[in-house]
Amino acid sequence: MNRSIFLLGAFFLTIPGPVLGQETAREIVDRVDRLWRGGSSRGVIGMEIVTEHWTRSLEMEVWSLGNDYALVRVLRPRREAGTATLKADQEVWNYLPRVDRTIKLPASLMSSSWMGSHFTNDDLVKESRIIDDYDIEISFDGVRDGVDIWEFELTPKPEAPVVWGRIVEEIRKDDLMPVWVHYYDDLGDLARTVTFSEYRNMGGRLVPAVMVVTPTDKPDESTTLIYSELEFDIDIDEDFFSLQRLRQTGRE
Amino acid sequence: MPSSQWWKIGWRNVGRHKRRTLLTSLALAVGYAAVVLMVGWVDGIVSQMVSNGTGVITGQIQIQNPEYLPERSLFNTLGGFEGTSVTELLDALESDAQVDAASARVYAGGLLSSGDATVAGFIIGVDAEREARVTRILGSLVRGRLPEPGANELVVGEEMARKLGSDVGDELVVVAPAADGSLGNDLFDVVGVYHSGMPDLDASFAIASIEPMQFMVALEPNQVHEVALAVSDPWGSPAIAQRVEQIVAAQNLEANVRPWTEFRPEIVDYANMSRGAFWIIVMVVFGMAAFGVANTMLMAAFERRREFAVLLALGAKPSGVLRSLIYESASLGMLSLIVGVVLVAPLMYWFHNWPPDLTNLVGGFTFAGAFVRPVLKVEYSIVVPLQAAIVLLLTAVAAAVYPALKTARTPPADTLQGR
Repeated sequence: MNRSIFLLGAFFLTIPGPVLGQETAREIVDRVDRLWRGGSSRGVIGMEIVTEHWTRSLEMEVWSLGNDYALVRVLRPRREAGTATLKADQEVWNYLPRVDRTIKLPASLMSSSWMGSHFTNDDLVKESRIIDDYDIEISFDGVRDGVDIWEFELTPKPEAPVVWGRIVEEIRKDDLMPVWVHYYDDLGDLARTVTFSEYRNMGGRLVPAVMVVTPTDKPDESTTLIYSELEFDIDIDEDFFSLQRLRQTGRE
Repeated sequence: MPSSQWWKIGWRNVGRHKRRTLLTSLALAVGYAAVVLMVGWVDGIVSQMVSNGTGVITGQIQIQNPEYLPERSLFNTLGGFEGTSVTELLDALESDAQVDAASARVYAGGLLSSGDATVAGFIIGVDAEREARVTRILGSLVRGRLPEPGANELVVGEEMARKLGSDVGDELVVVAPAADGSLGNDLFDVVGVYHSGMPDLDASFAIASIEPMQFMVALEPNQVHEVALAVSDPWGSPAIAQRVEQIVAAQNLEANVRPWTEFRPEIVDYANMSRGAFWIIVMVVFGMAAFGVANTMLMAAFERRREFAVLLALGAKPSGVLRSLIYESASLGMLSLIVGVVLVAPLMYWFHNWPPDLTNLVGGFTFAGAFVRPVLKVEYSIVVPLQAAIVLLLTAVAAAVYPALKTARTPPADTLQGR
């Protein structure tokens, strides 16, 4: 009995580590990729943007369903409250309460800044799962800064429609939480860094509640996301993500 | 025998065969007229390129924050983000005798949307009345009118209007990142549609009143990105730009002053290239004429071989005979020049004032980033007719060298004996 419990424990303990193959690496990276989304989710997120010229904070409510649907509504500041972004059917729409109009975002603007932050429209609404576009390899396995981690290196598959030349990601072994992600451009230069902290249990999952994006060429600038509410597997379907809803959400 | 005597003989012999002289001098005269006219046309195209390349949207001199280019960041306004007193600056600039007009501009990149259609483009905020004195873009409206100062109104290019499915009287949503970090957005009425002929411009630039633009992108009235100038002499822009630098410095403004020769170097290159073409045209035209003249002179010398032999037998120096023939050819050249000037002057006047417009035949085209209409307008010039005149005279003289040498070297006894 004792022996079998011991064996069972040993079995679980040994799954990560030495026997970690490509399949498992993919699973871990995919899990992190979908950490904040789940099947469906709703959250309230604060966003603090620091740039050379101005600093501002936004608060927004976000709904998502799978990879294909998302709705973001700005709650604060009041001047911009109601501004909303909808991603559905591979299209992105913005609702502008000041002029009470919705506009469709042209594809050419997907890589430009979302609401002045260091996130792009593409980050906000990216469709494909990271594992579909990248090959994943373990580039480091061991203890770094006193924490047992894996470092994964993601290289785009040939023909994959991605903007990055390479992504390097550090993930803690014990709870599979991301520590940081480095994004490199086509030339191999570091373009931006995302760091994670404040790992907290939200909506029944452990997630990093704080995420900071720093562009490499402007080290004094950053965008910080702080999750204050997060729930998963909520009762919404595709009909929720409609243009009508986009306008309504904005007017609420 | 003094030189004037040889000149006399030379000149007199021009009149010996009037018809032959006329035909030969016409060859030179028509060549001269062709060179002057062709170079005049090339100059006309160059000046049209300069005028369209700088007169449609850029202006001939631009003043910007030194940091503004190449990123065109919203924040790099003239005088830094604090801005500058725009009206004072414009007045100071316009006080320069060679600056015709000055216009301040605000640029924003963003989206213009109407219904389901959205295009990414640039919106330029201007004072329409001032801008119309600097560039012609606002003068190229095909429909509608200019934006009123202070009103949420804009004009769009024909291609943009088509893409948006909008026209005069419609409303556009304009969205652009604002200087305070927010997403600036506002409604603008389309009051006019322009057609500049430059595809990029017509497809992606909208021009709005400066005040609502500044409000939308959270800039103050004293924050502008660029001042564009129109000057009276486009080729004098670099010199005028140096004076403008002093005017700008006197306003305690740190700014980059650039003449069009810096921001449209391709037009300068084309102008230089066409100057090179002048010499090729000259060589071809006068090269052909030179053989005609040489032939005439050879015949003239041959038919008077007895006359020259007698002169030499009587003790005239061979160099005198040589000179008489060269002077004859030079006289022919001067005659040709007079005929040439008489021919080309009215043509130049005609093609300068009433140029034939071939737009219906071949349409307009864009070249080196400048829209060019196939209008055969010639530009007047002093240098070109002078240079061509010198080449004409040199051709006449050079063409006579061989016949003259041949004649002067023939021993007179041989000729007189009929050998």
